[in-house]
Amino acid sequence: MAAATAEKVQEIREVTRIERIGAHSHIRGLGLDDALEARQVSQGMVGQVKARKAAGVIMEIIKEGKIAGRGILIAGQPGTGKTAIAMGMAQALGTDTPFTSIAGSEIFSLEMSKTEALTQAFRKSIGVRIKEETEIIEGEIVEVQIDRPATGTGAKVGKLTLKTTEMETIYQLGQKMIESLTKEKAQAGDIVTIDKATGKITKLGRSFTRARDYDAMGAQTKFVQCPEGELQKRKEVVHTVTLHEIDVINSRTQGFLALFSGDTGEIKSEVREQINSKVAEWREEGKAEIVPGVLFVDEVHMLDIECFSFLNRALESDMAPILIMATNRGITRIRGTQYKSPHGIPIDLLDRLVIISTQPYEEKEIKQILKIRCEEEDVEMNDDALTVLTRIGMETSLRYSIQLITAANLVCRKRKGSEVDVDDIKRVYSLFLDESRSTQFLKEYQQEFMFNEMTQEEMETS
Amino acid sequence: MNNCSSYILCLIHLLVLNGSSRKCWPQIYEGRRKIHFTFTDGSELAEEYDFKSDELIVRKWKRKGTLGGHGRWEMEVGEQHAPVNLDVEGLVESNVNPIFVRKDTKSHYQWRIRNLPYPIANYNVTVKQEDRQIVISTVNKKYYKKFGIPDLDRCSLPLEQAAVEVAHANNTLIISYKKPGTVLDFEKKMMMEIKKLKASKDGDVDCTPS
Repeated sequence: MAAATAEKVQEIREVTRIERIGAHSHIRGLGLDDALEARQVSQGMVGQVKARKAAGVIMEIIKEGKIAGRGILIAGQPGTGKTAIAMGMAQALGTDTPFTSIAGSEIFSLEMSKTEALTQAFRKSIGVRIKEETEIIEGEIVEVQIDRPATGTGAKVGKLTLKTTEMETIYQLGQKMIESLTKEKAQAGDIVTIDKATGKITKLGRSFTRARDYDAMGAQTKFVQCPEGELQKRKEVVHTVTLHEIDVINSRTQGFLALFSGDTGEIKSEVREQINSKVAEWREEGKAEIVPGVLFVDEVHMLDIECFSFLNRALESDMAPILIMATNRGITRIRGTQYKSPHGIPIDLLDRLVIISTQPYEEKEIKQILKIRCEEEDVEMNDDALTVLTRIGMETSLRYSIQLITAANLVCRKRKGSEVDVDDIKRVYSLFLDESRSTQFLKEYQQEFMFNEMTQEEMETS
Repeated sequence: MNNCSSYILCLIHLLVLNGSSRKCWPQIYEGRRKIHFTFTDGSELAEEYDFKSDELIVRKWKRKGTLGGHGRWEMEVGEQHAPVNLDVEGLVESNVNPIFVRKDTKSHYQWRIRNLPYPIANYNVTVKQEDRQIVISTVNKKYYKKFGIPDLDRCSLPLEQAAVEVAHANNTLIISYKKPGTVLDFEKKMMMEIKKLKASKDGDVDCTPS
């Protein structure tokens, strides 16, 4: 009995791990109409009409794919939807356009130099559409069997039986494949294709033989014939790979394995040059086409002067992607220098950028965003509570009030309520301090904290 | 003087004549004569012959992928003995499945499919001349396989149903295809050609076969 409960808990944990709600998971696109006019509330986006329209224009540039190396800076106060706009662009571009998102501080690592990290980010954002012959496995699932070890921890063991109209084969599954099978919710009766090289699983539909009237199915369930012939086939597929992936494949033996582990290290410049000329050759022969993508650098003020001068140069290359940066800083010190500059970015780079600015949200916009977040997190909230939360959002910050949604929902659930009401909000508001109240508190009790024995100069926060 | 096709023979001559590809001299190791070719397009071919009986034990190809990088060895003849890492591969055919291996004899091309317990009446082996392929199908729909004979493709010789023999014993289905006379001649010449090549001593080679 206890074992059964434990089993259940584990199962739930797994499901939640797959479908987690992130800070921007309610964003589905930019929310523009065909004339690029921003709808007030659409695709998870609220307000910021001008900024979104501007982003829409940039999108058109990207989709056309002709202009290389443009820089766009999204500037605005914290919590005004800069990252949301970038995410919206990523969503609207679809999966076939490479979209790389990094934070400015990500490039400072001991494993590789700053410029190498930036170059890799650049090359991850350029796609190459090419026809390639790959080995795929296509068949109907007869049985999926995944065994957890008796101790509850350790590697899982999996077996997958696939069949076509002519044959049947049993496969042993590795960890990655077990994970993607559970993620795809593949079950007996599904027709799937598995790309052998990448391990990507695609569900084609349900088998006709499983179409029984008492099965509960969604409206989108498609029925397909069981494939014929051999399970393993060679097929020509057109897909987009990034320049970085080609670099890695060519940089060492068994190279593509490095892509899985993420440990790619530095790539020699000769390899890159070789790839560039190869790609140019493919383009001339009409074998491949370039898909310029987007590199999004969040918190761009964290880059230092060396990176900025590298960017100046890199943006001039005709293989450069569209570079989108976001910052919440005003006039501040450029990292690595004593000079001050708008947004912490040198003037010569700023000159090459077009700047989109975001404005603080208005009250009704905040209310709308909170409403969307409630839906995203599956939280029922009554109107009064929402009004109170909106007030909190106006006085403190949007992020803080979004955090309170989750907390208030938990409090409500503990008192076995069905809807979050004003009391729940009040409760969590008193439980969790926001930034300004915390600062207030610190100012009052500063003397009682550690290391205040000596008077010290005011600390500089940047 | 086992299985060698005219293609390989031509190849040897080609190599000797214009030296367009790099080649390693045969290396004798563990009772096997190993030969390794690297072609100008980057693909590699490795062959291993039994030193005493001159039977072809292994022939494998390594071709470059479209995007570059090193491919993996594809076995044309012989068995893959390299260990497989399940976590790297993602998914591997379980070893309870039928295992398909080509293992030639002097007079026949031969394929052995192990782990096939069904009686011989269960199998249909047909030659599809238009696709240049031999198709094994099963009445109980458990096994199906299409394969070609690269040796005959390289010589552009036709496939004939009459040359196919099927046997079944010890859970193994054995399919034999009688080598045409021309191929046998070629293979004889080829083996002589290979023997003429100077063999290097153990480990004393400038490149590593396989």
